[in-house]
Amino acid sequence: MNTNNNVYTVIYTAVIVVIVASLLAFVAAKLGPAQDANAKAETLRQMMSAAGVKPTEELYAAKNAEILDLYASNIQEAYTIGLDGEKNGELSVSKDKIELVSKLKPQHKAILSEGEATLPVYIFKSGKAVIPVYGAGLWGPVWGYIALQPDLHTIAGAFFDHESETPGLGAKIKDEPWFREKFTGKTVEWGDSPAFRLEKNAEATGATNAVDAITGATMTSKGLNEALNVWFNAYEKHFGVGALFHMLEEHEAETTPNAEEE
Amino acid sequence: MAQKLKETILNPILKGNPITVLVLGICSALAVTVQLKGAVVMALSVIAVTGLSSLVCSLLRNTIPNRVRIIVQLVVVAMMVILVDQILKAGEGTYAIDKQLSVYIGLIITNCIVMGRIEAFALGNKPIPSLLDGIANGLGYGLILVIVAFFRELLGSGTLFGFQVLPSGYIPNNLVILPPFALILLGCIIWVHRAFDKDLQEK
Repeated sequence: MNTNNNVYTVIYTAVIVVIVASLLAFVAAKLGPAQDANAKAETLRQMMSAAGVKPTEELYAAKNAEILDLYASNIQEAYTIGLDGEKNGELSVSKDKIELVSKLKPQHKAILSEGEATLPVYIFKSGKAVIPVYGAGLWGPVWGYIALQPDLHTIAGAFFDHESETPGLGAKIKDEPWFREKFTGKTVEWGDSPAFRLEKNAEATGATNAVDAITGATMTSKGLNEALNVWFNAYEKHFGVGALFHMLEEHEAETTPNAEEE
Repeated sequence: MAQKLKETILNPILKGNPITVLVLGICSALAVTVQLKGAVVMALSVIAVTGLSSLVCSLLRNTIPNRVRIIVQLVVVAMMVILVDQILKAGEGTYAIDKQLSVYIGLIITNCIVMGRIEAFALGNKPIPSLLDGIANGLGYGLILVIVAFFRELLGSGTLFGFQVLPSGYIPNNLVILPPFALILLGCIIWVHRAFDKDLQEK
């Protein structure tokens, strides 16, 4: 057979490509649900690590099914808000059909272009509110989940992840527990510019909304700082007032006893 | 025949090792050797891709039009790589490792070993020897990957497969974690390899 003939060559390549494409499409469709389940469990692990539901290692050792159970039994409610700070959707939290906003990239675009956003807010039974942050690191996206105490002002915990930051440098935002632990007890200063600072020598200023950037990971730190501030700004309308209200309440509680003494 | 098969399998692991002798596939050897676990998964993925691609190309060898043979090989290799990536993503236990290896699984397609073996061996040999040749070359690659990762994880993080083995007072060496150290280690491995194998030494 003459395999160098033009017609044969064209037909041969076309057939090969069609066979390979249909095989891949079939496999992608078959494995899709399992991949989505893995991605969902991963997101839940990160959120629950930030919210302090269980230590991070335990969450990563647990099976996907256990993670879904754990989330369903710890979540109070989940909803989405628009850029105006108003609620614009509910996310199901029942065990069988947990809904998440796991694609953060389109949301990030919506924030930057001031378009239609559905930013998720996850309220846990402990009263902690978990929100995502997302931005560009050095090589690819960086993102994370920030858990706020019920006062909506103090950070209860954080978890960061990345797609392809340099191992040993930028990847420390995920790999080194000390980095995320630094965020615990810090505050988000809603309405301030910037609301949070992840910068060189930031801790030395004594500010409660500041964490030192990582040495050797300047671009990753910058990207994460940007991610935090862009997303905190987007959530400000939703949380800022609540946080203020809470501070006023606390302030009253502190001053009222004195008033009685007088 | 048996002798020839044995040589097909052993040669790529020792005398004709794709990394230390042919110096192919260096890029991924730098990238995925920070931790042993990643290196092992990467090695297994490459073994699967080289083996299966060689097998398929060998089966097709008499039908492939010569003028487009590289393109056909590329399509077959790309398919295998995507399959491996998809399967890793779908497994509950392998999902985290796939995330950690990120783009490097996809980049197996650019690994010179895969195309090199198809072009040099699979197109001229029967399917079974081609499969073995592919697997053996993957093994030779994986062996070096695991050796490099062993030292990088041990000295760079003080752990092996994530378990702490050096005393907790050990200060991890940052240089070991950075990619250039993989080259230094690779150089040492080539040196040792050549010192033991007189045939590899230049006169």
